[in-house]
Amino acid sequence: MLLAGACAVSALSAQDLSNYTSFTVDGKTIQFHGFVSEGFAYTNDNNYLTMDTSNGSFFTEAALNASSQISDKFRVGAQVYMRDIGHFGQWAPELDWAMGDYRFTSWFGVRAGKVKTTFGLYNDSQDMEFLQTWALLPQSIYAVDQRSSYIAHTGADLYGSVSPKKIGTLSYVVWAGKNPSDLNGGYAYALSTIGVDYTTYGGRSEGADLRWAPPVSGLLVGASYMSRDVVGNGTADFGGVSMPAHEESNKEYLQQFYGQYIHGNFHADAEYRRYFRGILFNGSQVTDDDRAWYASAAYRVHKRLELGSYYSHFVDVRPYTGLSPDNPGSYVHDKVVSARFDITSHTYFKLEGHFMSGYAEYALVRGFYAPQNPNGFSPTTHMLAMRMGFDF
Amino acid sequence: MNHLRHIPLLSLAAATVLLFASASVRAADVKIIANDSVQASSVSPDELKRVFLLTKNSLEDGSRAEPVLLKGGAAHEAFLREFLGKTDSALQTYYRSLVFTGKASMPKTVSTDAEVVSFVVRTKGAIGYISVSSIAPGAKTLEVK
Repeated sequence: MLLAGACAVSALSAQDLSNYTSFTVDGKTIQFHGFVSEGFAYTNDNNYLTMDTSNGSFFTEAALNASSQISDKFRVGAQVYMRDIGHFGQWAPELDWAMGDYRFTSWFGVRAGKVKTTFGLYNDSQDMEFLQTWALLPQSIYAVDQRSSYIAHTGADLYGSVSPKKIGTLSYVVWAGKNPSDLNGGYAYALSTIGVDYTTYGGRSEGADLRWAPPVSGLLVGASYMSRDVVGNGTADFGGVSMPAHEESNKEYLQQFYGQYIHGNFHADAEYRRYFRGILFNGSQVTDDDRAWYASAAYRVHKRLELGSYYSHFVDVRPYTGLSPDNPGSYVHDKVVSARFDITSHTYFKLEGHFMSGYAEYALVRGFYAPQNPNGFSPTTHMLAMRMGFDF
Repeated sequence: MNHLRHIPLLSLAAATVLLFASASVRAADVKIIANDSVQASSVSPDELKRVFLLTKNSLEDGSRAEPVLLKGGAAHEAFLREFLGKTDSALQTYYRSLVFTGKASMPKTVSTDAEVVSFVVRTKGAIGYISVSSIAPGAKTLEVK
């Protein structure tokens, strides 16, 4: 399958795809862009992300978007996204974003519709791995099985940036909206493994992101905050007894702090996130408190080759799994080395090694689930990940 | 022998002069051109950077600003180095991240100085860069200061 993907990629990249990405209708230019990414993961132990990775598994992501600048200040666009990663996505097309964007001035604009949520360095682009050095972004913060919960909201953003003299550029986004209800995501899947099947899951979120590019070339620092109020409804089957299942947020928020430095061919990122979640499940209080961070660095050693490494750290310090934070069921620590080969400017291949310890059990939604690991979990997992794809 | 002590200092001074000289040569490798609708006669480096990073769609004087880029070449490399502080690869990744999150459209990119000039001349608010040795009939040249 990867080979077939490679052939398709080669055939497509032989053309100058950028020539085919726009046309004009009634004087308005409509741009089309898209990507396809085929991945492969092989683990020595523990099946990962609901796939049969100990025998080698393929996974796929793709998106297509169209956008047009209607006037000097008004732009519209939409993107359809689909993925097939184990039980996640299952090829169901999702409206990734669809919005109108009116920029009154550089310091004030409004976006409305389904909008990608600006949060930390990569929340809004975490499903576009072709933008990254990595085959998998640091999973402590950008968990594949959780991303549909945070990646977008249906509502509105206020945004802008200012450049006061001598202090660099300050950019802000403030948003409010409704989270998507993704029943093909990791949380719904994790619950289904213990007999809880949600028919609806989603709710309101609001938040803000403030970032500062000081007058030091290539440096960026920022902070984000998100508050959520989520409701889930469905049925629960506990030991053959069926009953309604209802969940609602009592107090749920995320805080994130981040920094980035880019100089020439060098690129470094670091982010820290705290996620606090207190919910009522059928009237019972459930609380967890996650701490996650990563630090990464990459260097483009050649026009076609980028090498990088990161360390990603996740722990739940108050797990409702009943485990202590130093139990492997409460954490995942991941050391990663990666190489990205840019075959052309729009075609790439990535090779990546993951050395994980811990397996943060199903309730923490961190890639390790009991149905794919019926004999229990090993405390460590080594994984080889590959990606190949193109964009236009 | 005493004068030999000054050689390292003289070398350092010469190196410094060469460094600044080469920097100014690089800056002079490109000139910034704009459509006649742009009222300003000059633009600040910060303003230019924000226009090309798509965080600003107008200049201080209120003129609409739409960037046009070269696909490659010496003028393109000099412009990225001098004004954007990004490699071409990093800039393309930056643009794609905006395009695929719905936050901007891909800016116009052309292959030659003549195409930049042609686009700038016919497009209201267009701002581009060309090699300093190229001519830009019908476009105005903006001073960067």
